[in-house]
Amino acid sequence: MAIVHDEIDNWLAADLHGQLSTDERSALHAHLVDCAECRKTHQETKAMNKILEETLAQQKPDPTFEQRMLTGFRNRVPERTGLLKLLADLMRMRAAQVTAVAAVLLGLVQLGRMITGETGTPPAVRDRYANKQLFEQPSQVAATSEPGRAGALGKADELAAGKPKDLALAPPQSAVETRSKVEQDFKALPATVAPAKTAQTEGAAAETGTETEATSYTAEATSAETPSSELANRKLIRNATVELEIVSFDDAVQKITAFANEERGYVATTNSQKQANGKLRGQVIVKVLPENLDRFLQKIRGLGELKNQTLGTEDVTKTYFDTDARLKNARVMEERLIEMLKTKTGKVSDLLQVEKELGRVREDIEKMQGELKYWDSQVQFATVTISLAEKDMEEPAAFLIKERSQLALYAPDVEKIYNDIKALASQKVQITNAQLNRDYSGRISATMSMLIAPEESEAVIGRVKSFGRVENFQTQTERIAQGGNGMSENARTKRDKVELNITISREEQEQAFQQTSLRIRTSSVDKKAKDLRGVAEKQGGRVRSSTFSRDPDGRELANVWLRVPMKNYPALMQSLDSLGKVENVTVQRQDRTGTQIDEANAPADISIQVYSQGNIVSHQSGPLATLRHTVAQSAGAIMWSLRMIGVAIAFLAPWVIAVFAIVWIARRVIRPRRKS
Amino acid sequence: MDASEREQYRAAIHGDRDAFEMIIRTHSRTLFAIAYGILQNREEAEDVVQDSLVKAWKMRWRVRDPEKFPAWLSMIARHRAHDVFRKRRPVPFTDEAIDPNQANTPDTLAMDQQLHSALATLPELHRAALTLRYFEEMDYSTIENTLGLTNGALRGILGRALASLRKQLRPALASTD
Repeated sequence: MAIVHDEIDNWLAADLHGQLSTDERSALHAHLVDCAECRKTHQETKAMNKILEETLAQQKPDPTFEQRMLTGFRNRVPERTGLLKLLADLMRMRAAQVTAVAAVLLGLVQLGRMITGETGTPPAVRDRYANKQLFEQPSQVAATSEPGRAGALGKADELAAGKPKDLALAPPQSAVETRSKVEQDFKALPATVAPAKTAQTEGAAAETGTETEATSYTAEATSAETPSSELANRKLIRNATVELEIVSFDDAVQKITAFANEERGYVATTNSQKQANGKLRGQVIVKVLPENLDRFLQKIRGLGELKNQTLGTEDVTKTYFDTDARLKNARVMEERLIEMLKTKTGKVSDLLQVEKELGRVREDIEKMQGELKYWDSQVQFATVTISLAEKDMEEPAAFLIKERSQLALYAPDVEKIYNDIKALASQKVQITNAQLNRDYSGRISATMSMLIAPEESEAVIGRVKSFGRVENFQTQTERIAQGGNGMSENARTKRDKVELNITISREEQEQAFQQTSLRIRTSSVDKKAKDLRGVAEKQGGRVRSSTFSRDPDGRELANVWLRVPMKNYPALMQSLDSLGKVENVTVQRQDRTGTQIDEANAPADISIQVYSQGNIVSHQSGPLATLRHTVAQSAGAIMWSLRMIGVAIAFLAPWVIAVFAIVWIARRVIRPRRKS
Repeated sequence: MDASEREQYRAAIHGDRDAFEMIIRTHSRTLFAIAYGILQNREEAEDVVQDSLVKAWKMRWRVRDPEKFPAWLSMIARHRAHDVFRKRRPVPFTDEAIDPNQANTPDTLAMDQQLHSALATLPELHRAALTLRYFEEMDYSTIENTLGLTNGALRGILGRALASLRKQLRPALASTD
């Protein structure tokens, strides 16, 4: 009930409009009986409904309304007629739509083809072309590959051999060329075909296929006779090169000569040369009859190990006969020219012209005759070039042992040692290069090279070593094979002169064997640095350089570099302890393997840093400095943020202005609408 | 919606002119009711219906589902009517109501005038629903379909519309009773 009361308006409206179900209606009526307020509302609503019905009924469209609407519509949207309507109707059909889309696609494809320039040959046609070529090729190969059929007369054979295949396989689309060839053949052979044709046609109406077959057989029969007669006329130049490894060159040459005689040939040229290790290498050129060439080669192979063989044939038939024909022509020409001279009619200048021409023709004739003769000789005999090499060609003849030594000397007086070494020079000791250098800072160094006879080498090198402290002595021995490579059992071995390179330097320039760096903390730097000098000298060391500095904070710093012999190094290190607190000791040692070093006398470098603590509080720290830092940093930060704000404003300003403008315009538009 | 009706809508969408003319016959009154509900003016409402039909014909391909065709039609009419209503400068209803052709008696004239001003205060949707109901006496579900409302929403709308009118016209009602 409560629901009906709350929504009494809805219920009453639905009731008046007859849209309540029977249950709902009875519920409503029951409530109306109970509720006086709703009853009143019911009355009012009923009256309201009536008024609405009455008033709005007046406004209802008149009966002709629909017709009016229809007429208006027809006037405003005129019906399409004729072709346009037909088209529009057509386009409404699904099938027509599909066709149209397909047509458009096809058009696009064609357009693309036109643009890219691809030829629109359908694949089927291409296949046919390929087939045709495949059919034609074997027939041509069959014709040319037969040795007897080639050259000038080979063309007819080719046609004859190729024709049956062409007829059998070539489809009607075969190229015009082949067809015309076949036609020519038919015309050329009417006489031979005639009997067969008449025999065939007498029996019955023969098929054209069998007829052509018969034709081709006869054609083949006629052409089959040609090869045998042709072979004799072929001009073939045969050449062979053979490379052999043999035991003895002379034996081989003798055997080759014997073989050549057997095969009715001759040895044309022989040449040989002797290698450093006594082995022979050479070339033999043999001329044999072409038909015996293969047998000859077989025999030669037995002589030794075959390294390489090539066999070549050059067919000069065509050029030979061409030249021959031209020669005949030239002869005829010559005769006619001679005839002209004999009759002696015409002007002198003409005669001169004839004479000149005759000279040219004769020159040609001679040239051609020469060519023919050359070819004849080439064809008559086959050329075999035999390269012979004796075994172990590469074995060395001798070995040479080369010794090369290198040593570095360190001495206090370079010049003295330089002269001492120079004094060693003698017959057996040759100084090839001696150089004494003094650079801008007064440092002296020397380089020397000498060649020492092998028997003296040990003694001389020993002498040189004794002149100073030896550093980095290297010896290199090389065994050089002469006249070949590899190993040899019987080759002699010889010692060559020993080459010795010496570099002499002052001791200071020597690289330290061991480097030590350490720090000493003390209160009085200056004094301790001086003490350090005394200590070093006592141990046989020298101060190489020293520095002294004092920084603004009152810190003093002295750097001292010392050099002592290795044997005194431990004692020096001990005595350093007395100077102050030794810190941060690092030792670096360079062990050079493969060199001979006099370790006790090798120099050791020590770099010492003597320093004092200085003022406890530095200028760079403390509350004042901190304050200064802070102020500077904050000022920097403020400046940075100001700059960033400026950037942000510059970036955002146009957007903000745009947004304000849009809002303002929108308000102007909305305000009048609200008023309306 | 039965099958033949749907077929008719489908044909109309696909450009069948006869089918569309049939739809004009059956639906133009509904469209008029909607337009009149919004505009409260017969001439303007007729123009709106005319415009809407032409527009519907031209735009018919936009409708995918034939079943939604009537709702789509009425939506076009509603938008068109709304446009006309918005473009119209505020015209006092009194001018039109005083039209002597429509006035029968002074009493009904006053009632008409009052009713018109009361209707003008209602939302557009409510007015459209009222006219659909009182012009065409359609049942609720058809009206809901036409206006694109959810099921059962119309009862509340009409109830509120009637109640609102009733409250505004109470003095006049009292006099007629």
